[in-house]
Amino acid sequence: MAAKVGVYICHCGINIAHTVDVEAVAQAAQDLANVTVSRDYIYMCSDPGQQLIQDDIRELGLNRVVVASCSPRMHELTFRRAVQEAGLNPYFLQIANIREQCSWVHGDRESATEKAQGIVSSAVARACLLQPLEERDVEITPAALVIGGGIAGLQAALDIADAGFKAYVVEKQATVGGHVAQLARTFPTLDNVQTLLAELVERAQAHPNIDVLTNSRVLEVDGFIGSFRVQVGSQPADSLPETTAELAVGAIIVATGFDVFDASLKPEFGYGAYENVITGLELEKRLMESEASNGASPLGDGAVKDVVFIQCVGSRDRTLGNAYCSRVCCMSTAKQAHLVRQELPDARITVFYMDVRAFGKGFEQFYDRVREERVLYRRGNPSEIYKRGDRLVARAEDTLLGKPVEVEADLVVLATGLVPRSDADEIGSLLKLSRSEDGFLMELHPKLGPVDTTTDGVFLAGCCQGPKDITDTIAQAKAAASSALIPLSVGKVRVESITCALDPLLCSGCGLCAEACIYSALALDERRNVMVANQVLCKGCGACSTACPSGAIVLNHFTPDQILAEVESVV
Amino acid sequence: MGATLVIGAGIAGMQAALDIADAGFKVYLVERDPSIGGRMAQLDETFPTLDCSSCILTPKMVSVGGHPNIELLTYSEVVQLEGDVGDFRVKVRRRPRYIDADKCTACGICAENCRLKGRIDSEFNVGMGKRSAAYVPFPQAVPLKYTIDSERCLMVQRGKCGESPPCRNACPAGAVDFDQQEEIVDLQVDSVIVATGFDPFDPHLKPEYGYGLYDNVITGLQFERLSSASGPTYGEIKLNDREINDVVFIQCVGSRDRNLGNVYCSRVCCMYTAKQAHLVREKLPDARVTVFYMDIRAFGKGFEEFYDRVREERVQYRRGNPAEIHRRGDRLVVRAEDTLLGQPVEVEADLVVLAIGLVPRADTQALAELLGLSSCEDGFFQEAHPKFRPTETDVSGVFLAGCCQGPKDIPDAVAQGKAAAASAIVIMSRSGSALTPGEE
Repeated sequence: MAAKVGVYICHCGINIAHTVDVEAVAQAAQDLANVTVSRDYIYMCSDPGQQLIQDDIRELGLNRVVVASCSPRMHELTFRRAVQEAGLNPYFLQIANIREQCSWVHGDRESATEKAQGIVSSAVARACLLQPLEERDVEITPAALVIGGGIAGLQAALDIADAGFKAYVVEKQATVGGHVAQLARTFPTLDNVQTLLAELVERAQAHPNIDVLTNSRVLEVDGFIGSFRVQVGSQPADSLPETTAELAVGAIIVATGFDVFDASLKPEFGYGAYENVITGLELEKRLMESEASNGASPLGDGAVKDVVFIQCVGSRDRTLGNAYCSRVCCMSTAKQAHLVRQELPDARITVFYMDVRAFGKGFEQFYDRVREERVLYRRGNPSEIYKRGDRLVARAEDTLLGKPVEVEADLVVLATGLVPRSDADEIGSLLKLSRSEDGFLMELHPKLGPVDTTTDGVFLAGCCQGPKDITDTIAQAKAAASSALIPLSVGKVRVESITCALDPLLCSGCGLCAEACIYSALALDERRNVMVANQVLCKGCGACSTACPSGAIVLNHFTPDQILAEVESVV
Repeated sequence: MGATLVIGAGIAGMQAALDIADAGFKVYLVERDPSIGGRMAQLDETFPTLDCSSCILTPKMVSVGGHPNIELLTYSEVVQLEGDVGDFRVKVRRRPRYIDADKCTACGICAENCRLKGRIDSEFNVGMGKRSAAYVPFPQAVPLKYTIDSERCLMVQRGKCGESPPCRNACPAGAVDFDQQEEIVDLQVDSVIVATGFDPFDPHLKPEYGYGLYDNVITGLQFERLSSASGPTYGEIKLNDREINDVVFIQCVGSRDRNLGNVYCSRVCCMYTAKQAHLVREKLPDARVTVFYMDIRAFGKGFEEFYDRVREERVQYRRGNPAEIHRRGDRLVVRAEDTLLGQPVEVEADLVVLAIGLVPRADTQALAELLGLSSCEDGFFQEAHPKFRPTETDVSGVFLAGCCQGPKDIPDAVAQGKAAAASAIVIMSRSGSALTPGEE
């Protein structure tokens, strides 16, 4: 059937029409081969604009539509829906971007108009060769896997379970609760962390829709959004062999948390060498034990008179390769300084800092309060800690005084930062996730996709994505649950229609395409020695078709003849 | 049928609405302004990745506008809420646009012909551009329908605009309708998400900085419009044709300030200032750029790295909180104590950008009473628990998202929007009321 193309030039108010003579573009398009009708309109995306296209499809029997407007990222879906409603396959639509790629980046009306005509003519040439594609849905197994039983994992599991779906929590340790189980009090409200955590843990453990698998790890993940098959290994005791079980889930939430920076990597602070140089977490432990034992001082009997806190240990430190800020240490230090002040009303307490990052709700007020409690904040990053007699000395440059200072201490507390887990690579490769520059798992988009990933059906929660406090972790966990609840609630998900097509007669099974594919959509069929493409995993990026030396793979909707037609019409 | 009311269609409200709608439930999205999009629509590039804000936002706005499960109620306000979780009854007041949205093609002829054309400050351009009484806030508005500003329109205010209103005479679609009346819409919903955002701090309250007195002292939000390719100067950093060689940024304007009663940190200003300093460097390679700060709070992913990069781009960070700005000849002088040098300094400037903070919306108290919520010490809405229940409230079935709970950046607002959506989905799932996809 011959192509009958309708061309629609959008003014986008004045966004396009200001720089491009839209009427001239519409007129020129009228003379192109296979063009039945060509019109311009103030806003093609508006209801009357879409109606114009639909009427022409019905009345003139158009079988291809070219809309010359903004980027396809804006309205391709809008116009696909519009042509579909009028009875055309949605992939018979071609967008010609004459806004971002023309009117917005050029000033001269004449040459911009000429360029717009070129863009439109190449879109028409391509449109004539477009093939119909099928829209496909996959079914969703109504269950989710949550990797990690810290507060992020537990909260995500609870939301999923509360919405009526099964949630499996896989936790490496013997107990759930993660790092939060090691904290005494929260900042800035000084709530007892363990009471709050216990509520969360009890709710999760008692929930009929939640299975908590402790002493367990994910061994293998197979499949794709909607139907993942997960091998989980469990080892209830060291003496027993690991048993494996297979879980079928529709979505996966990664909540694997963080590691604490190893303070011995900063030998100048003497951690490990001096027993009274401890980490913040070790101080929390002492505070917790003292609280539990009702009164026994966590800091010895009167021996401690001077306490020094050092912030940014392992954070904001290029020499260690940790350029980033760990986001929680400023406030946990302020809180610990306050708790020490309560224990030791007469102690001298000094905090060395670079910037105080008290950015959350109530944080600044708490920081102010701690300073009013005679905690001395000194701006400077200590260069070393050494021993003088039986006391420690922290040596630093006080950058506000502009001179070196030495502060004696009986106890030095290092605010160690948060670093990516040592097994982040392992989990990354299991789920095909990449990592950002700082080593944490990478989200889909730093602004608008903070919990989604490039792998459909896999979401991030908590500190595996980057350091964050309890509040932000809970919010993110619920956010990840929301992303997972979308496919789970609907029961099916639409997958990409623009995928690769592989011709087994041309394929030599060399595997170059599989190396190029970041979605692991290509695998070797060993029996036939040809590659096979998984049409659900494929995202239609086209990397495989450019890698294939024998031209055995083409990307549907971007076939060589379609692309060459586009190119030929402008050269 | 399960339904949720989302109040406010900025990035947090839109994200919450999309998640709920994508999960198959009905959403009523109420927005006070004529368009959805919120503050993010005004921003130029986002930190630290320098994505163009409207390029990533507007596709989302289109998704919201076209979603079969989302019913948009723009130019509307919630006026009453009764009932309990699972059965809230809501009254929404739809203000008259005086333009029939079904007929309007957004051709703009009404605005062209408006007698007040070019005489009303554009809110979108923060006073740095003008509009008519008949207007769309910005070209990518959703819905793309004109609105007649009832507070400014002569016809609405005085019942008379010349012989007869030129907008009505000129409209080729016959869409202008001064007989439109306010309408009350009744809704029944299972849960409510409050995503009403923030107000920018009013820098007039810091008279020592001369905002309003000196035309080259502007706010960070105005800088965004100045720097934006779609702004009043098409992205050029210029003001009244004055040559700009020295730019000074002042952080913490209206934040961390006990005298003003705003003790809290606004969380985003350090990074938006760093980004703006970078944009100045990009557009004015030879300018001297100085940033006055108290502490640099570069705490998010990629933030510290970005802050390092900006300093390497010859942006001078000076620790100190300027005491005042005064005029010397035709230039401005920023006077501060540099606390690292321990001495007073004066820095001359052709442009001063005030990194204004985020404050609770002026109507927070009224909305709190209407919804039965409380607000916390700093004036933002109070969450159920600051650590473990950041998006819930003391009212069962009412959730918070975004900056109405406290200042936050875009990813944190998005995460909270989704978090609130999860809670709403849980409630609606329990009442077993998911729509099949696409069904209304």
